[in-house]
Amino acid sequence: MKIVVCCKAVPGAVTEVAVAQGNVLSYRSQFQSMNECDEYAMEEAIVLKRQMGGEIIALTMGGITTQDILFTAAAKGADKIVRVDAQAQDPRAASIVLAAALKTLGADLILTGTQSRDSLSSFVGVATAQQLDIPFAFAVTAIEKDGDNSIKVRKELGGGRSADVRLPLPALVCIQTGIQPLNYVPPARLMRARQQRPTSLSLADIGLTQDDLASKGYRIASVAPPVRTGQATMIEGTPAEIVSTLLAKMKEVR
Amino acid sequence: MAGNVLIIAEHWNGKLEGVTFQMLTKGRELADAMGVSLEALVVGGNVGGMAEQLATAGADAVFVVDDAALANAAGGLQAEAAVVALRGIAPRLTLVGYTLVGMELGPAIAVRLDVTAMTNCVSVDYVDGAVTVARPVYDGALHARIVLDADKPALVALQKGATPTAELASKNASVQKLAIDVSSLPKRGEIVQFIEEPVSDIDITKADIIVSAGRGLGEASKLPMIDECAKALGGLMGCSRPLVDQGWLPRERQVGASGKTVTPRVYIACGISGASQHLAGMSESRMIVAINKDANAPIFQVAHYGIVGDLFEIVPELTAQARKG
Repeated sequence: MKIVVCCKAVPGAVTEVAVAQGNVLSYRSQFQSMNECDEYAMEEAIVLKRQMGGEIIALTMGGITTQDILFTAAAKGADKIVRVDAQAQDPRAASIVLAAALKTLGADLILTGTQSRDSLSSFVGVATAQQLDIPFAFAVTAIEKDGDNSIKVRKELGGGRSADVRLPLPALVCIQTGIQPLNYVPPARLMRARQQRPTSLSLADIGLTQDDLASKGYRIASVAPPVRTGQATMIEGTPAEIVSTLLAKMKEVR
Repeated sequence: MAGNVLIIAEHWNGKLEGVTFQMLTKGRELADAMGVSLEALVVGGNVGGMAEQLATAGADAVFVVDDAALANAAGGLQAEAAVVALRGIAPRLTLVGYTLVGMELGPAIAVRLDVTAMTNCVSVDYVDGAVTVARPVYDGALHARIVLDADKPALVALQKGATPTAELASKNASVQKLAIDVSSLPKRGEIVQFIEEPVSDIDITKADIIVSAGRGLGEASKLPMIDECAKALGGLMGCSRPLVDQGWLPRERQVGASGKTVTPRVYIACGISGASQHLAGMSESRMIVAINKDANAPIFQVAHYGIVGDLFEIVPELTAQARKG
């Protein structure tokens, strides 16, 4: 089984977010890390490889600094690490880039997370499957082999409901958080993983041009802390004062 | 541009979901502002009854793709059926729920139809001739306001509970069954079985008061502090998804889109930042109290009362005072 895990480098401790030229958001951040939802996809890939054999390719897109997360992926157990040298905040553009890269790499099973902590779209995984014209499932909590050329997955439908779905391969599965425990990567292993050379793919390598990455159909007008709709009343004072105020308010609610 | 506002109905076991009525209410407002009609699309197996219900619930027209094969199909097939329907109807703006079901349908439909897609939206309005949405970015601490091009059709996925439900006047809408050959669509997998979690002994949906813990708790050994507080108040302990993912608490305690939807009299969120998936499960609670170190945490957007402080000081104090009565 050839498994490709799509993982995203996301910024941490973001400040000074603003709308910048090119219909994107600019920001400062203290560090980059692998998007937590994608880490679960990586952990599941490792378990699947242990069960079924094969290889794991970790795929990301972004500038040179994003390859740090690929070393994390290698330290966790990816056999091959690949970065597409392209920048696209727009989720749709990201799905076009990933689909083109996946066509180049080839895969039996593609795993992604359910959401990235920066753009919070839950869009790229399923959109990538559609670009590739392959079956997909979202919020998957279990994967098992089902014959030679298909898998059976359990996907969440919300409110304690789920469904077992049979998917012919190749397929794309968006992994729900919690599918496997996140394993700690010892620094020594991370150091060793840094010796690996990531494969770098240019847009031309995957048959795309910069035009394919344009965000179309919208304009980001502003970005700001949300307007308070709930009108939360802040309770202040010592813990004892806060609690006695709170208990009084709680008694008023019917 | 021409085209109406259309909502894609979400349903389960022959019943329309709450988010459908939220979209209907919002869709009515948008259609009226845009001077166009409000349409509803129901895709599934044996959905006639729900279509009739929508016809008197405020839509101007109801379209149905009704095929037994759709009932047990993986999300991909429903999306393909909706795509064929939407090609014919050609709405200007399509609303879907930002739910686990809509997270499959929305992107799948948007890519196929090549329409502008905005997911995880907390609002959608018609402002100065353009559809404008707000959606969280960067952990939800910020909202981006995005103006959609007026000359291109769009799909907006609306967070569950983000907009209210109103009782709408019936438009006595016609129900039109679309003749779509589902067997000719790409199959994309099949559902083997549906599973509904059995009702457990601990049913947080029936609790009068819920004290819920989130990541801010730091470690599992602190959970008894939350449980004692809940008990002292005569309530139950709940939690956000990460605590279940880490194996600290069983799924039956989880509040949110993928867990339980709760509407207690009082909901106290301790160290919960307020990701949209959590808010979807508790935003209808009658009184929401948020205790969090971070004054900018999104949870304060839905809270009625906010306490910016250390939950390890506040919660034991709350337990102590509650016990005194």
